[in-house]
Amino acid sequence: MASNPSNVFLQGGKFTEFGKPITLRKLFFSNPSVLPYNYRNFGAHISCSAIVEKLSPAAGQGELDSKSLTTRYLMTQKLPGQTEKPFSSTGKFGRFGGKFVPETLITCLSILEAELTLALHDTDFQEELATELRDYVGRESPLYYAKRLTDYYKNSEGKGPEIYLKREDLVHTGAHKINNAIAQAMLAKRIGRKSIVAATGAGQHGVATAAACAKLSLECTIFMGSIDIERQSSNVLHMKNLGAQVKAVDGSFKDAMSEAIRNWVGSLETRYFLSGTAVGPHPCPTMVREFQSIIGKETRKQAKEKWGGKPDVLLACVGSGSNALGMFHEFIGDEDVRLIGIEASHSASLSRGDVGVYHGTMSYLLQDEEGQIIGPHSIGVGLEYPGVSPELSFLKESGRAEFYTITDDEALDAYERLCRLEGIIPALEACHALAYLDKLCRTLDDGTKVVVNCSGRGDKDAAAVIMRKQDRLES
Amino acid sequence: MAAFYTASTTATPPSLPKPYRPSSAAYLQSPPLKFNISSKITTTPSVFCTLTKQPMVSTEEVRPQAGFLQRPDSFGRFGKFGGKYVPETLMYALSELEDAFKSLSTDQEFQTELNGILRDYVGRETPLYFAERLTEHYRRPNGGGPHIYLKREDLNHTGAHKINNAVGQVLLAKRLGKKRIIAETGAGQHGVATATVCARFGLECIIYMGAQDMERQALNVFRMRLLGAEVRPVHSGTATLKDATSEAIRDWVTNVESTHYILGSVAGPHPYPMMVREFHACIGKETRKQSLEKWGGKPDVLVACVGGGSNAMGLFHEFVDDKDVRLIGVEAAGFGIESGKHAATLTKGEVGVLHGAMSYLLQDEDGQIVEPHSISAGLDYPGVGPEHSFLKDIGRAEYFNVTDEEALEAFKRVSRMEGIIPALETSHALAHLEKLCPTLPDGAKVVLNCSGRGDKDVHTAIKHLKL
Repeated sequence: MASNPSNVFLQGGKFTEFGKPITLRKLFFSNPSVLPYNYRNFGAHISCSAIVEKLSPAAGQGELDSKSLTTRYLMTQKLPGQTEKPFSSTGKFGRFGGKFVPETLITCLSILEAELTLALHDTDFQEELATELRDYVGRESPLYYAKRLTDYYKNSEGKGPEIYLKREDLVHTGAHKINNAIAQAMLAKRIGRKSIVAATGAGQHGVATAAACAKLSLECTIFMGSIDIERQSSNVLHMKNLGAQVKAVDGSFKDAMSEAIRNWVGSLETRYFLSGTAVGPHPCPTMVREFQSIIGKETRKQAKEKWGGKPDVLLACVGSGSNALGMFHEFIGDEDVRLIGIEASHSASLSRGDVGVYHGTMSYLLQDEEGQIIGPHSIGVGLEYPGVSPELSFLKESGRAEFYTITDDEALDAYERLCRLEGIIPALEACHALAYLDKLCRTLDDGTKVVVNCSGRGDKDAAAVIMRKQDRLES
Repeated sequence: MAAFYTASTTATPPSLPKPYRPSSAAYLQSPPLKFNISSKITTTPSVFCTLTKQPMVSTEEVRPQAGFLQRPDSFGRFGKFGGKYVPETLMYALSELEDAFKSLSTDQEFQTELNGILRDYVGRETPLYFAERLTEHYRRPNGGGPHIYLKREDLNHTGAHKINNAVGQVLLAKRLGKKRIIAETGAGQHGVATATVCARFGLECIIYMGAQDMERQALNVFRMRLLGAEVRPVHSGTATLKDATSEAIRDWVTNVESTHYILGSVAGPHPYPMMVREFHACIGKETRKQSLEKWGGKPDVLVACVGGGSNAMGLFHEFVDDKDVRLIGVEAAGFGIESGKHAATLTKGEVGVLHGAMSYLLQDEDGQIVEPHSISAGLDYPGVGPEHSFLKDIGRAEYFNVTDEEALEAFKRVSRMEGIIPALETSHALAHLEKLCPTLPDGAKVVLNCSGRGDKDVHTAIKHLKL
């Protein structure tokens, strides 16, 4: 039954028809004249005064008029609790980002973007998400003063920076991935999808997605590269235990990602692609970043409680950039906070890559002279992605953030160091950030507050570390 | 090594004061010790502690109810259970430990430091999570049923509740000036927790582990070594947890001045059962606060798995005096109670002395320890904490058991319904919900202690469940 747009009103953050909730999707598909291609005319069909009234407190001053509601609304947003941050509906960060996708996906992505916006403004959704983050995921994660690590980096005069670890290793499933997975799974359920598809490299995102899907009774299919399945067999077992279907794809993460997107495009109506990385076509990078930004928000609050100020330096590892953006995003506007991202030396898209388009977005990526993707490598499997988030590319180009690289061996040393000094087994990915402390600390003043995002726990890496240690002993 | 003291089943010798003897007869049905194969069952308790300078508590009028009694009393007894059955060399160390513990419980600085570590390092408070799908699963056709909440101890650093105690004890050891820490471990979880805190506080760490357990838990052994601990294999006896415990006690006797022994559970000689319980009591305290926030009341039923009993005591302790709160402990029935291959100490055990405390334990006719079996290594202990024995005897807590199969089913069920992979130990408690929930009234609030995460058990589960 086609919905008559003139009967549609916005109530409590949901579009309703005759008082019953109606999703944007139903609205769009039931009446072609309001397809997103023509969404600039959207306002003409719907009783916009009601919408403008409901949205105006959140939507900024004088930016809305009934004719161009959706476009303008999406372009300037004041998300709850934040200062106004513009993001364009084309999803560009400077020249990076965008939506380089086949035509079939454009509609879907626009719907997703609109749903995301509605969800972010829906107090019920936000409250429910906050409850799940608190009770299910176990947030807030602590900001832990690593005393022994701090002492280790003190110079001969006993001076050196103070090192704090943001303990994302303590959250449910053992990595920051769950923040995004649970929020997106809730979004997918809200939209009415029954089936989730995702791609995973290290397996952490796969496990987080499988856990969220089990909890919300959604069907879950995870694509994983065959190389990764071998290396991360324990995570594969976790996913199976949680009831997800794991499908092997020849190759590694980038191939799994391509296969997952292909699978999604085949059944856009019923499936939801849960991206774990801050890459992909708009709104994926923004969405992932929004859901991960809880890390940075908590850090600000905890830093204020602990030392009454802000961190001086933020340090995070960068694969595609989800944990780094989660930490950095809150502080982008604070010029006195240094943002440092660390990549794996053989997977360093920002340090060694060139600008190109991959998986729907324009960003730095590892490519050869002919524009073919160079397969990355790292002992931290989660860092093995030839591209990187467009927002990080933008931060690099604008000079707001700095990016360096760390080798496998340096990461392994950092793994053992944190185990022995703090009794925390960090993920090999996070070890890259921890390894950079070796170079960073001597350049910092006494008492500088450094916050390192300990993005995951390293139990999954114990087997790989044993093998590498044995190799190193033999060679 | 169990310290054996001769016991007489006849009248008390005149030189010693009368031992504590509560009037309830039901409490004294079974003879306390089984060293002599005697067919005579007397009603006289005839166990004597070594003389101490502290006066006897005169308790003839006192009925054995938890609320009335100090748990433990000044001898370290919970009723007739508990005590300090140790060689003379350890008596001083135990008194010193007890004094230090008592003084530190009132020391603000120590408490602040401990709370800071629990918050920032361990990640407390752990959430009280409403398990929606599990509640739905147990909903009756008419729509009623209990509400299931999980106390998420699996979210702690190192993935189990063990760290609460390890942190408390290592801070205590530092205060005592000890530089060397020893511990025993079966599954490896307590060993990893101990190695973790020793790394954090820069202390030497030696973990005793049965050689058989070391093979089964190779990854945990590696984790302990990574954290800087020395893992010593124990080959004596059956090369499992009880032998590792004995070896650790032996080490402690030899090095008592420089060494602190971090016992992993509420077993062992006084003051360990009390100390370990107090360090885990934060679980129950948080639960009280969180249940008040969530539904404005107390839990109706508390469920926890029982191996040595530390996680159960941690949850129960806060509520022992609340008569309207039911306490349920779930032990491992292994291949089944009748098969003889189980670890259901409170169901099938008899009273005896093991590792310095009097408690129920699995023993044969000659008083030798029976090797327990459970698919979950953490429940694979032939004894149980003395306080649990006491709570069972006075009827304050109820104890049931669950087989390996039922636990594996629960493991699979909760993983798929809630996206939480519980430890196999916890799965025993979760399995008991199958029998418990149909008997509960609508809206009854059940809080289950999700004592650990099951990452360590996925391989075992996959093998058995053939996924």
